[in-house]
Amino acid sequence: MATSQEIEKNVVLLPQTNQLIGLYSIIRDQKTKRGDFVFYSDRIIRLLVEEGLNQLPVEKATIQCHGGNEYTGAKFLGKICGVSIVRAGESMEMGLRDCCRSVRIGKILIQRDEETALPKLFYEKLPEDISERYVFLLDPMLATGGSAIMAVEVLLSRGVQADRIFFLNLLAAPEGIKAFQEKYPSVKIITGGIDEKLDENKYIVPGLGDFGDRYYCI
Amino acid sequence: MSTVKSPKPRRFSRIAPDNDDSASFFTSSEHLPNESAIESSASSIHLDVETPKSSYIPPWTEPYIIGVAGNSGSGKTSISQKIIQELNQPWTILLSFDNFYNPLNEEERKQAFNNNFDFDTPESLDLDLLVETVKSLKSGEKTQIPVYSFQHHNRTSKSTTIYGANVIIIEGIYALYDQRLLDLMDLKIYVDTDLDICLSRRLTRDILYRGRDLAGAIKQWETFVKPNAVKYVNPTMNNADLVIPRGLDNSIAINLMIKHIQKQLALKSSQHLKYLKELGVNIDFDIAKFNIKILPTNNQTRGINSILFDVSTERSDFIFYFNRISVLIIETALEFITNYKPVRINHNYDGLRLMDEIMAVNIIRSGDCFMSSIKKTFPEISIGKLLIQSDSRTGEPQLHFDSLSSEMARGKKILLFDSQIISGAASIMAIQVLIDHKVAESDIILCSYLSTEIGLRRIVNVFPKVNVVVGKMSSIEIGEGKWYNEENFKDSDWHFRNRFIDSLYFGTD
Repeated sequence: MATSQEIEKNVVLLPQTNQLIGLYSIIRDQKTKRGDFVFYSDRIIRLLVEEGLNQLPVEKATIQCHGGNEYTGAKFLGKICGVSIVRAGESMEMGLRDCCRSVRIGKILIQRDEETALPKLFYEKLPEDISERYVFLLDPMLATGGSAIMAVEVLLSRGVQADRIFFLNLLAAPEGIKAFQEKYPSVKIITGGIDEKLDENKYIVPGLGDFGDRYYCI
Repeated sequence: MSTVKSPKPRRFSRIAPDNDDSASFFTSSEHLPNESAIESSASSIHLDVETPKSSYIPPWTEPYIIGVAGNSGSGKTSISQKIIQELNQPWTILLSFDNFYNPLNEEERKQAFNNNFDFDTPESLDLDLLVETVKSLKSGEKTQIPVYSFQHHNRTSKSTTIYGANVIIIEGIYALYDQRLLDLMDLKIYVDTDLDICLSRRLTRDILYRGRDLAGAIKQWETFVKPNAVKYVNPTMNNADLVIPRGLDNSIAINLMIKHIQKQLALKSSQHLKYLKELGVNIDFDIAKFNIKILPTNNQTRGINSILFDVSTERSDFIFYFNRISVLIIETALEFITNYKPVRINHNYDGLRLMDEIMAVNIIRSGDCFMSSIKKTFPEISIGKLLIQSDSRTGEPQLHFDSLSSEMARGKKILLFDSQIISGAASIMAIQVLIDHKVAESDIILCSYLSTEIGLRRIVNVFPKVNVVVGKMSSIEIGEGKWYNEENFKDSDWHFRNRFIDSLYFGTD
């Protein structure tokens, strides 16, 4: 298996294999129908979640094998939870559940304030014991990083350790990565693709359109 | 007194026979039966270290061919059926001359309906087609057998498809007539029954089952059957290895004959096994030299493997984590597919489009564990199936069933699934089946969760161009940990040499 690369400190990029670029070509295409968009996005999300899980620490454990052998294997360590940024982030919950069946999932709603043009926290509902958990922060697009930064702020205020937060996204802009890292260098970003830039409207270019709209079809 | 003993029932399973040294793929073949005969054949198997490629000869490429001849009504069919019943081998086929009559034209058909057509000369048969059919079967190809209708005296539009025959019985009055057929046969039998008895049997059959009347049947016997029998059929007795007087009544002769065939088949299967065992032993095995990918050892795979290997894991967890790792195996398998075309998406993104079509083939039932993950990756993929089982007495793999067609597989990349490679024999056989269906070796991607080193060696020894993805591989020898086997798992470890994945996954233990 082609392995993911940490292209800079705390930024992990999925291996840019032909099949991954092939999947992105499908979801980027405006002509792709919603059914295919959802299916192929879910496939990428699954790879992101698997990579996220791979970043979690394990501890040595003695395994009693079938047939009576023993060997030193590994046991997953620590509890995890997902936190999705409403609405687009919720599209990634299924992928997370596919890999962690009974995972707890918190939600954060952040909207752009019409008056100040700054992101504003509208709603949060997080597990009580989130401070003891590893957190997968879910939002498919990292554009300016504004809402993700605010979500991390919320998590930190609830006592989550910064190095236990993993921010999973399908597509990131270099500007967003930079802004996010300057603010929270110890939060790990796991992304499936890094695009060229943001345009004057702060959209990712080439991008894939509004992920939430295409996934939920509104 | 001698009676024909019915053989012990065979059990077929995918479990590599454990505690039975004589049957194990992991031990030398010292205890196999017919030692001396094997030794002599083994010298012809030459493994060249310089050129590691060996060819695999599946059992259906060298089927055991038995010819059964005798006059009409002599009991050929009964004896052939007795052989099939006693042998109890998968893929024993009965090739009857009845299906190889030449199609009749309008005039001839009229004669036939008036019992005026001579069906009993060698000329009435399409011997060329029969020879071609047997040759095709003998070379292991998928072969169409025509179906002849006695009601209409014509070949029907139907045909029977035969593939993978182990034993072929060619039965007909002229089975021992054509030299080309004689050359293809391993055993030639002539059933010598008195012509009076033949006549009475023939009358019963023609009148009761073939819709003829007594006068017509007698007329045909006198004009055609008997003269031809004397002129053409009886002399072919000289071509036989074995003449059975009195047909099916002669239980001693039949018993002896079946014993002989069984012995020959046992020899053939032990040669097949011995050959399989020797594969891959002497090759210079460096996984970097072959198209082999093994999942990396990282926290994720270490953790999942630990759960899957652990005796105390619940079944629901086992299924869940197996589905997780199988998605990773499938995604890795896709890295072998490189036929992508650059496409411009929305005028601003240089993307790639997959140009190959993909098909999945599961080895029942071990490969079926991948089904849910296959569907998650390709919702509309077509899925072929193969049933390959090992004989519990000898460990010899045998093909029992396939649902594949060359049309379906043509030009596609084939993901071949088996959750465990133990001896490698089933995989080798499955790859051979795909190649027989016109799939190119390099278009096959074998996906497996666990593999022994010896199994993988055998596979790439025979099929060096095949692509393989493995979740975890053990090693033949204990030694310094390879990058893919830090845990130092050995081929002889229980969970590498026992087929436990599908039992747990499907919950039948």
